Amino acid sequence: MKIRKRLKKAGWITFFVTPGILIVFVFILLPLFMSLFNSLFSWNQLIRHDFVGIDNFKRLFTAYPYQQRFSNALGNNARWFAVTMLVQNLMGLLFGYVLSRKIAGSQIYRRIFFIPVLFSIAAVGFLWGLYLRPNGLVNALLQLIGLGKYASAWLGNAGTATYAIILVNIWRWVGFPSLVFLTAINNVPSECTEAAYLDGANEWQMFKRIVFPLIVPSVTIITVLTVIGSLNVFEQVYTMAGLDGAPNYATDTIGTLFYRTAFGSVDSGAPEIGIGSAVAVVIYLMTFSISLLSIMITKSKEVEM
Amino acid sequence: MKRLLGFFLAAVILVSMVALPALAEVTEIQFWTWRPEDVSFYDKIIKQFEEANPDVKVVQNPIKNTEYNTILSAALAGDSAPDVFMSRAYGGLQTFADSGYMLALDDLLPELANFSESTRMGARSITDGKMYGLPALSQTMLCFYNKKVYQELGLEVPKTWDEFIANLEATKKAGYDALANGTKEGWCCEFLFGGGCASLYGGTNFYNKVITGETTFEDPVFVAAVDAMLSLAPYMPNMYEGVAYTDMQVSFINEMSAHFIGGSYEAGYFKAQNPDLDFDIFAVPGKTEADPAYVSVYADMNFAIAATSKKQEAALKFLKFLATPEYGKQVVTDLAMVSSVPGVDVSSNPFIAKVLELQKNSTPYIFLVGFRYNQPTGSSLFQAAAQGLMTHTLTAEEVCKQVQEGIATYYKPFQK
Amino acid sequence: MNTMRFRFASFGKRIFIVLMQLVMISYVILIIYPLFSMIISSFKSTRDIMRFPFSLPSGFDFSNYVSVWVDKGFSVYFLNSLYYTVASMVFVVMFGSMAAFGISRYAFKGNTMLYMLFLSGIMLPLKAAVIPLFQIVKGFGIMDNPLSVIFVFIAMGIPSTVFILSGFMKTIPAALEQAARIDGASELRIYSQIVMPICMPSVALVVIYNAVPIWNEFFFPLVFLQSDRLKTLPVGLSSFIGQHSTKWELLFTGLSMAIVPMLIMYLFMSKYFIKGMTAGAVK
Repeated sequence: MKIRKRLKKAGWITFFVTPGILIVFVFILLPLFMSLFNSLFSWNQLIRHDFVGIDNFKRLFTAYPYQQRFSNALGNNARWFAVTMLVQNLMGLLFGYVLSRKIAGSQIYRRIFFIPVLFSIAAVGFLWGLYLRPNGLVNALLQLIGLGKYASAWLGNAGTATYAIILVNIWRWVGFPSLVFLTAINNVPSECTEAAYLDGANEWQMFKRIVFPLIVPSVTIITVLTVIGSLNVFEQVYTMAGLDGAPNYATDTIGTLFYRTAFGSVDSGAPEIGIGSAVAVVIYLMTFSISLLSIMITKSKEVEM
Repeated sequence: MKRLLGFFLAAVILVSMVALPALAEVTEIQFWTWRPEDVSFYDKIIKQFEEANPDVKVVQNPIKNTEYNTILSAALAGDSAPDVFMSRAYGGLQTFADSGYMLALDDLLPELANFSESTRMGARSITDGKMYGLPALSQTMLCFYNKKVYQELGLEVPKTWDEFIANLEATKKAGYDALANGTKEGWCCEFLFGGGCASLYGGTNFYNKVITGETTFEDPVFVAAVDAMLSLAPYMPNMYEGVAYTDMQVSFINEMSAHFIGGSYEAGYFKAQNPDLDFDIFAVPGKTEADPAYVSVYADMNFAIAATSKKQEAALKFLKFLATPEYGKQVVTDLAMVSSVPGVDVSSNPFIAKVLELQKNSTPYIFLVGFRYNQPTGSSLFQAAAQGLMTHTLTAEEVCKQVQEGIATYYKPFQK
Repeated sequence: MNTMRFRFASFGKRIFIVLMQLVMISYVILIIYPLFSMIISSFKSTRDIMRFPFSLPSGFDFSNYVSVWVDKGFSVYFLNSLYYTVASMVFVVMFGSMAAFGISRYAFKGNTMLYMLFLSGIMLPLKAAVIPLFQIVKGFGIMDNPLSVIFVFIAMGIPSTVFILSGFMKTIPAALEQAARIDGASELRIYSQIVMPICMPSVALVVIYNAVPIWNEFFFPLVFLQSDRLKTLPVGLSSFIGQHSTKWELLFTGLSMAIVPMLIMYLFMSKYFIKGMTAGAVK
């Protein structure tokens, strides 16, 4: 009897999971693994040559210019992650909290904050590219409020370029964690917070001891998506700084490094498929392990309902 | 009456039943380009070709320039290639030729023998010396200037570098941006150098020496030329490191700047955007009047046939049409570009005639022509380092060193 | 106590409220302005967009709209985009929620591995695999066929859907399910009539999160759809970007057109998750 039940359960699981996993496997996992496999071969332009094992990886990590480009790019990805976590997700948490507490105007804010997500990345790149020009909106505003001396070529200056692009990306995305956190905080049962209020807890204590622990699952979701996003960022940098991470690789990320190595570009020339695929493998392994780590860490902090 | 009509109708149907199969002999070929802005031009050309060759139909598919290489690679590797496609020159061609995706054209297109050596170089594989493309365009890097401003300020076309600087100074004083160029995009640095400083490093003489390894990019004369590019900075717009390509074009079109160092292909766009713009061109001179004033030239585009194409005969017909002077003439009049086809009548476009004049002192556009065959390409090395130079994070010596070392990792003549 | 009322707040809290309001109002302005300037630019010419980016257009000249819609074929591209996006999203939600249900509501060996396998789908940009993918699509014979992009879109949307929905589904108490099982409901019924309705807010979120990238996706339609009649809106937009010149006024016109369906979808979907958000506890 138990076996029948087990089989029935297995049958149902298969039913629910199969269509999804089938499509994902055929159209994503299979081609991805095929291209990761390419990293084990040497290539002559677009034609595969001999099996060379981890030779491409060795070149990636030791040979000029790949080693320099890779560590430079990885540094930028780290910046993406740090600034996004600290600015975007924190702001999202603040917005979400304040909106859940029905601050004045929350009806309007709630609806408007998500609008930037609806723009295409290209549109965002064009618009903000225009605003960040030396004679663009941003500098004009700075002059207006008397901070004219801070006017700068935001996207042309090696020191500010990456941060400018990250901030544009934050402009686009902050509505998402805001909404996720808003939903999560609203789902905290009112009994818990009311009980604490009656016990004399103030807002901050309530947040720290009750609300935050109960919204950890959404923190996990946001964190993992941020990790994956920071390691995979490509489109935004491509639109605003070009494939080579101008100026002088200051905005280069492992995403753009991968793309121009694997496919070449008009100026960067010939594709190096072996090394490009090696970069892809590294991206995948890093993303996989860091996501897994984040999930495990936050799982241990989850509080059962 | 009705009977006659019915008879007539039946006859028409019968005739079409016989004729249609004959019409079905039309071969359709796919033609891929990277010029969405020239769609209507190629449509016109295709129409002319189809009228002369009713058994071939050409379907144009323009793909955004920056994605073109990737999509073409995928199509060629996936055996879903277009029949005729635009191919990059030099290193860009090498990628597809070495992979066996292109049809060798030497025997199939005898017209190729009449093309000039410099255009042939852009369509030839350095591995086996065969021609894999039909050269289409050549581009020239030079200096545009606003004639009205020159007249206003009583300036003349400079004959030495110092005169050039003096002109820049004068236009700056008059309130214009002397030079429209910005450095936000890497390739803009490359053509600023190729169009502005070629005469300073000795043009073709230097090129021939560096190609064979007789000298390097750290040669003092080259370093000085790179330094000279930096000396143009005071004449460039405020915060030029953030000025993008579009901004540069707009600045010159709207007459906010007096000079624009760039490619001859700009002319068509300038004219279209501002028909009142009165501009002309000159080659930026060298140190003395005796030094030739060089312009950097490169072959820009080839038409190629995919080796896997099943319609090679039809594709060849199209290519033969694209090798005629009649086609070349329309390139000159409609696109305002220099056609690689020999014997083209340029009388209809004085601008192109002037470009050809300046091309008498042409030198290969150094990195694009000679050093795009391997990664890291000379172009990408120079572009990145030049951006460092123009943002004051690298010196001219460091730029040349980086370029030299990068190229030396694969370029045998540098690996003594 | 549940609300942030300025009047009854302490001094520290008042400062906090003022600061937050300042930030939020600035953000709203920063959202409205680009939307506004994008639409305004569609009524100008390229020269004017660059020369006078802040000015209002001289008149409401709809010629750009006519040009884009009629001459540039956007009437066809728009409908194509609509068809591909809706078709893909239906299956993304269906297959994605089914998979999320299977993974989060049942305990079995290999549960986490399956979960991570789905998540792998978003750990690498699919662009990386364009050549093998091209060969697979060709192998199925769906080259230059809407099915190619629809399958790719579905595959792109499922991983994040599984990720987000299983997170929300886990918060549903098991008691609800048990009660339904005792009442004799089949697993399918539990999925469709109990779990899914509760997850509506997160489903709405997932729809927006995936529909926008699919609607704006430019690369794969460019690769797989070569016939003009099959092309999508973003591919059409890319035709305004030339190698050496860009038709900014047509680009902004196209972008303004492109964002309208997204705004409509958002207004429609936002009802769902706002309802869910104010409802509070799941019980």
